Amino acid sequence: MISMKNVSKVYIADKPPALSDIDVDIAQGEFTFLVGHSGSGKSTLIKLLLREILPTTGEIIVAGQDVVHMRNWKIPFLRRNIGCVFQDFKLLPNKTSYENVAFALEVIGKSKHVIRTQVPEVLKLVGLDDKAESYPDELSGGEQQRVSIARAFVNRPPLLLADEPTGNLDPATSLGIMSLLNRINKTGTTVVIATHDREMVDSMRKRVIALENGKVIRDQSRGVYGYGD
Amino acid sequence: MAISPGYFIGEAWSSFRRNWVMSLVAVTIIYISLLLVGTFFLTGAIVNRIATSFEQKVSISIFMKDGAAPADVQALQGDMQKDPRVDSVSYVSKTQALERFKERTKNSPQLVEQLRGNPLPASFEVKLKDPRQVAAVVKTIKADPALAKVIKNAEEDVHWGQTIVENLFAATGIVRLFVLVFVILLLVVSLVLIGNTIRLAIYSRRKEIGIMRLVGASNGFIRTPFLFEGVFQSVVGALLASGTLLAAQAFLVPWLQRNLRFLPVSISGTTLAQLTGLLLLSAVVIGLAGSGAAVRRYLKV
Ligand SMILES: Nc1ncnc2c1ncn2[C@@H]1O[C@H](COP(=O)(O)OP(=O)(O)OP(=O)(O)O)[C@@H](O)[C@H]1O
Ligand SMILES: [Mg+2]
Repeated sequence: MISMKNVSKVYIADKPPALSDIDVDIAQGEFTFLVGHSGSGKSTLIKLLLREILPTTGEIIVAGQDVVHMRNWKIPFLRRNIGCVFQDFKLLPNKTSYENVAFALEVIGKSKHVIRTQVPEVLKLVGLDDKAESYPDELSGGEQQRVSIARAFVNRPPLLLADEPTGNLDPATSLGIMSLLNRINKTGTTVVIATHDREMVDSMRKRVIALENGKVIRDQSRGVYGYGD
Repeated sequence: MAISPGYFIGEAWSSFRRNWVMSLVAVTIIYISLLLVGTFFLTGAIVNRIATSFEQKVSISIFMKDGAAPADVQALQGDMQKDPRVDSVSYVSKTQALERFKERTKNSPQLVEQLRGNPLPASFEVKLKDPRQVAAVVKTIKADPALAKVIKNAEEDVHWGQTIVENLFAATGIVRLFVLVFVILLLVVSLVLIGNTIRLAIYSRRKEIGIMRLVGASNGFIRTPFLFEGVFQSVVGALLASGTLLAAQAFLVPWLQRNLRFLPVSISGTTLAQLTGLLLLSAVVIGLAGSGAAVRRYLKV
């Protein structure tokens, strides 16, 4: 699903690279945590996969597509294969939960019929069928994050990327979000989560890729967050 | 990807309702800018008409000696009428000249009484298609051998008010240039102003654009509603500006005609049609260019 070879990213020449010489392969259906200190390069890696930025060197394949040499007009089609979730939810404040999720289908040209069947389904999956008509400011942080996950998943993408999805949430709520992402993973979707959340990583016992200063320092298949660091 | 235009019209309308403050600001600024452009355009048209009416008064007079042979007179008239630059040649006989003189001096009849016989010469009045050609046409006429046979002296008997005419053309030329430069300047200023306003409106919605990109909307899909909206706002502004100007000139032109009798103030229907066309065309161009350029910035990868 994801293959990175010798990937480096230098934002500003003369400064140390944000990522250097990354080799990572993630198979279809895997559930992977990306951990590391602040500034270790987690978000940079996620942005590379989304083709928000280009690597300075190296090759990246995502969902069978060569991200590095991709023409600009193809980027939207890459993104239709990737659901993404962020710490700040990125919901439109003037749309209800239902409309926020439907928006993701509208803008890729899905028919009204598809929208009317898929949106309630995915809202039910994230447990918000009773909040469909609520606006983001009428929802708790955890609920807003569920809406954003519903939006990321409504199109059933093969890959779901999450950059600190629980960064703004308390531990109990975070647990709910993680188990939701785990359930999504069970449907066959590859899930990659960048996080600081030590307890979460330790309790899930999933693959852990640890970054430090832009390098992969550890890659364990049933790992924990780290050794006391 | 078959997306009906209905979707975009719906989006444009709902976003107009959601962002109506921004839209109102944009429409107002477009309205004011185009109002300025239109005002100056109309003023320019009026000034141009006045200048043209002055220019059309320019003519060449040729005064003939008494007793010139009718055949020579006809030959000269024929030569002048053949000139493609000449609009009309009219012959004023000695009797007609006297009539005109009496008409002009009817407040002091003693002037006519003092006249013995008819000292006034017969003459030709030559009008030109383009009055600016006057000097060149005079030169041609003076070179005509038929002329020498009907006049005494080429320097004295061919009149065209050289200095007045030259000053007039210099003045109307400057006025026209000034008006043209000003209209273009205003148009450019309003293009920038309007473009910026639309950009501001789009800037306030960059979050929405960011989310659209994130979920895989194509650039064309993201751009289209903004273009619709930009054009829609500009056209509304242009229609309001045209309406205001048409109404204003319907009141103002008759008022000017009553109060400035010595100036031929008028606006033709063609000018009004041109005005509406100019404003609408600018609006569409501005709407497309302004919103297109603004969205582009947020579509860069
Ligand atoms: N747009 C940018 N321009 C210049 N430097 C950048 C840019 N984005 C990130 N960096 C730098 O790259 C490095 C990695 O940043 P990144 O955002 O990937 O870290 P992170 O692991 O996500 O950190 P955090 O846990 O705080 O989110 C940092 O040193 C950061 O300062
Ligand atoms: Mg980060």
